[in-house]
Amino acid sequence: MANQIVELADDLGNPTGKTAIDNALSYQDLNAMINLWGQDEKLQLEKDKLAVRRYFLDHVNQNTVFFHSLQERLDYLVENEYYEKEILDQYSFEFIEKLEALAYSKKFRFEAFMGAYKFYTGYALKTFDGTRYLERFEDRVVMVALTLAAGDEDVATNLVEEIISGRFQPATPTFLNCGKKQRGEFVSCFLLRIEDNMESIARGINSALQLSKRGGGVALSLSNVREYGAPIKKIEGQSSGIIPVMKLLEDSFSYANQLGARQGAGAVYLNAHHPDILRFLDTKRENADEKTRIKTLSIGVVVPDVTLELAKSGEDMYLFSPYDVEKVYGVPFGDISVTEKYQEMVDDPRIKKSKIKARELFERIAELQFESGYPYVMYEDTVNEANPIQGRINMSNLCSEILQVNTPTTYNQDLSYDEIGKDISCNLGSMNIAMAMDGPDFGKTVETSIRALSAVSDMSNIESVRSISDGNHKSHAIGLGQMNLHGYLAREKVHYGSEESIDFTNMYFYTVVYHAIKASNKIAIERKTHFHNFENSKYATGEYFDKYTNQTWAPATPKVKELFDKAGVAIPTQAEWETLKKSVMKHGIYNQNLQAVPPTGSISYINNSTSSIHPIASRIEVRKEGKLGRVYYPAPFLSEETWEYYEDAYEVGPEKIIDVYAAATQHVDQGLSLTLFFKDTATTRDVNRAQIYAWKKGIKTIYYIRIRQAALEGTEVENCVSCML
Amino acid sequence: MEKTKLISRPINWNKIEDSVDLDVWNRLTQNFWLPEKVPLSNDVQSWGTLRPHEQKLTMHVFTGLTMLDTIQGTIGAMSLMPDARTQHEEAVITNIAFMESVHAKSYSSVFSTLCSTNDIEEAFRWSEDNPYLQKKAEIILGYYNGDDPLKRKVASTLLESFLFYSGFYLPMYWSSRAKLTNTADLIRLIIRDEAIHGYYIGYKFQLGFNEASKERQEELRSYTYDLLLELYENEIKYTADLYDEIGLTHDVKKFLHYNGNKALMNLGFDPLFPKDECDVSPAILSSLSPSSDENHDFFSGSGSSYVIGKHESTTDDDWDF
Repeated sequence: MANQIVELADDLGNPTGKTAIDNALSYQDLNAMINLWGQDEKLQLEKDKLAVRRYFLDHVNQNTVFFHSLQERLDYLVENEYYEKEILDQYSFEFIEKLEALAYSKKFRFEAFMGAYKFYTGYALKTFDGTRYLERFEDRVVMVALTLAAGDEDVATNLVEEIISGRFQPATPTFLNCGKKQRGEFVSCFLLRIEDNMESIARGINSALQLSKRGGGVALSLSNVREYGAPIKKIEGQSSGIIPVMKLLEDSFSYANQLGARQGAGAVYLNAHHPDILRFLDTKRENADEKTRIKTLSIGVVVPDVTLELAKSGEDMYLFSPYDVEKVYGVPFGDISVTEKYQEMVDDPRIKKSKIKARELFERIAELQFESGYPYVMYEDTVNEANPIQGRINMSNLCSEILQVNTPTTYNQDLSYDEIGKDISCNLGSMNIAMAMDGPDFGKTVETSIRALSAVSDMSNIESVRSISDGNHKSHAIGLGQMNLHGYLAREKVHYGSEESIDFTNMYFYTVVYHAIKASNKIAIERKTHFHNFENSKYATGEYFDKYTNQTWAPATPKVKELFDKAGVAIPTQAEWETLKKSVMKHGIYNQNLQAVPPTGSISYINNSTSSIHPIASRIEVRKEGKLGRVYYPAPFLSEETWEYYEDAYEVGPEKIIDVYAAATQHVDQGLSLTLFFKDTATTRDVNRAQIYAWKKGIKTIYYIRIRQAALEGTEVENCVSCML
Repeated sequence: MEKTKLISRPINWNKIEDSVDLDVWNRLTQNFWLPEKVPLSNDVQSWGTLRPHEQKLTMHVFTGLTMLDTIQGTIGAMSLMPDARTQHEEAVITNIAFMESVHAKSYSSVFSTLCSTNDIEEAFRWSEDNPYLQKKAEIILGYYNGDDPLKRKVASTLLESFLFYSGFYLPMYWSSRAKLTNTADLIRLIIRDEAIHGYYIGYKFQLGFNEASKERQEELRSYTYDLLLELYENEIKYTADLYDEIGLTHDVKKFLHYNGNKALMNLGFDPLFPKDECDVSPAILSSLSPSSDENHDFFSGSGSSYVIGKHESTTDDDWDF
């Protein structure tokens, strides 16, 4: 049955170059068995535990470098340039020893094979030849804590507690890189503006290369770039539009991908009223010409309210030349509210325009989403309405959860900077909702998380992209996310999308935002500083707090009240908000942005969580990634008892998912990655209706559309758990 | 003798004689894809980690598959055309034939992305010289050229549901070991198609079979088992020839049994191989499912789950806000 190939060795243990089959089941096979019903028609979840065991016995333990003592280990790692000496030098050896002991005392075990496999494949420090492991999970956690605490023993201890217990999990770039001598950046995400000139386009490509090389995802806004056929130096019909820029970017990302530790990835955003919008979408067509096809670059559309209004009345929508708009208004197209200026621009003969049917644009978007999952959608006016910071948001990032203001950069003739604008970076980390609710001190978990994320911002200095480093130094923007919502709900026997689940989501995020602002305020008081331009934010005027001080927020259902009581998590009162408001208005907050809910792929596997605040894709998820291959991941806490509470996302349907997200959105200053799931029986109209519903409910962005096609009756594989729809 | 006058009749999709024709047509068109969609070049690094004999094996396997798809696209599917029971069946067959050619071309995309011209030429020479591969083609072609329409369907189903799988095994195996995952995406798209082709041709066979006399049914039944065994004998040698060096022959054989039974099932016959000889490695079996349940990571591949959407315009009610 098994087919694990093993290398044969001669009597002296030297490899002979021959291979043979090991008769025991391999860990890959054991893991795959959870996707097949057992002989008694039962789930074989225990096989996954065996897979973990087998993985450690056959692979991890045999390939881990052994050290006699911690001292020996640290000396070796520092001498051989695996660990950064400066990090360790901030602490006494006794303290590090104590911290290691603390970490190991928690008896951490990987719950799922996927978690262990992912950790050792992607995170653990390896020898330079890539063959042997130099860290276990506990060692990684300690190194992350030592790095982020920057010498503060209390913070380091708190961080080890929070991370090892699974309550807080830093995002991949942070968790992967902390403490390593040879490493990429800690920051997850970068957002860059591109202006309508060659200097800016070239700088954008250069920055994309630099940032990918360091392991971050990069999004670029193309809304300002002049359209196909626009004049160059007043000569009509000269510009090639945005598609060739996309091609250049796609190639740049795949080039950097070959050198970096992590896959280079990028996204581009375009305003719906840009004249190239249809060409932009068609790059993802199944039958697109090779010259225009975009394979790996992600795309997103920025949709203002006016577009939906025009679609509502079945009207044409005008597309405006960014080149002319910038000439007329003196600011780039992306910095203009299309909704506000729409009629004015339509009536202005100086602005060249074309028109398409607004509804057809939405239908086209939906068609493309069926074929490729793209584009992302950002509801521009919703986003700006909810933005407490002065300035304009005109794009999002690779995962559509970062929403921050930016300003343009200008260049001199010799390509040097004239004025450095503000671009965006954001580092992320997520709390595990189930573990956080179980924890001893909810407020402390949030505060420790905010401190860890702020530390990443403080340590980051991307010198190669000045607009990013300047932006970061001014804003200290961070994004605290959440995951394992569905896992928590299922464990507590609440159906995802039910009234109780929406109530819980509302109260949970309500509690988080209070503690997050409080922590940021605390840091501002300690350091006697706040983020740049705090004075002109809605935090400074107090306006931001109105919705919390003007009304009482309390659980609407007995079940949710019981859940909070049981967990001993206090729900902030109006009076507490009043106090916090006064303190914030007086001292400010340290971070311009605090929350963003990312999709959490990899880290939720390590953390044994369900992704983000989504419903699960399947009770047994079939996960496919370049570096992992095909792996099977059972939902956390899955058992016969929780089975019925694990309706998958395709069954739950888009409306309920939107309802849950809407409850969270009102408490999150940035965005939330919201994927919508459809069965293949859905039509483009169903997708459009979901988009309209999402917009009505105040959703800020939509991430991927995923389609699940059931096997044609008669062609399915017998016995397959994930195929059981 | 009076000549029968040939009447040309336009196909009317509003009058469906067999609803399976429409279901399958819809599914096949919805599943349309081209190899350019898969970012195969992301596998270049992974290809480099395969040892030389593993690379050679992979190329041989793919040339073998190319051969089968070439036969099926240019001869196999077309040979079913004259016996089509409905005009809609004819339309479905044209789609099958076309997609088989897409498959055949896909393997070339894999080659051109991963291998050098010399290696590609070596692999194609190998396919011309390999006795078992040639034998396989010869057997199938023999029946395609025969004059019994139901036997042609049997041959075709065995090819779609049985013969391909000795080759499909390898990319599924690699993908469970985190190798060539984008190539595996492409192969899964092919499996998704072949599963439907085998099912459909088998279904059409069953219609004819059920109308036949008892004697004729018996003849077809024994013909099917004989042909399967003939192909199986050869397939075992082919499998050993390919997989012995890497040590996977035993498991691939079980996989052949599994799919042999599946092919018989498509034709409406009882399984031939006992269950305990079909216990394929779980990692392979789990990855076979033609349903699009893979939750892929968008940043490292395009996945095998997307389909051409059904267009439906929104109405005023939808925009009521």
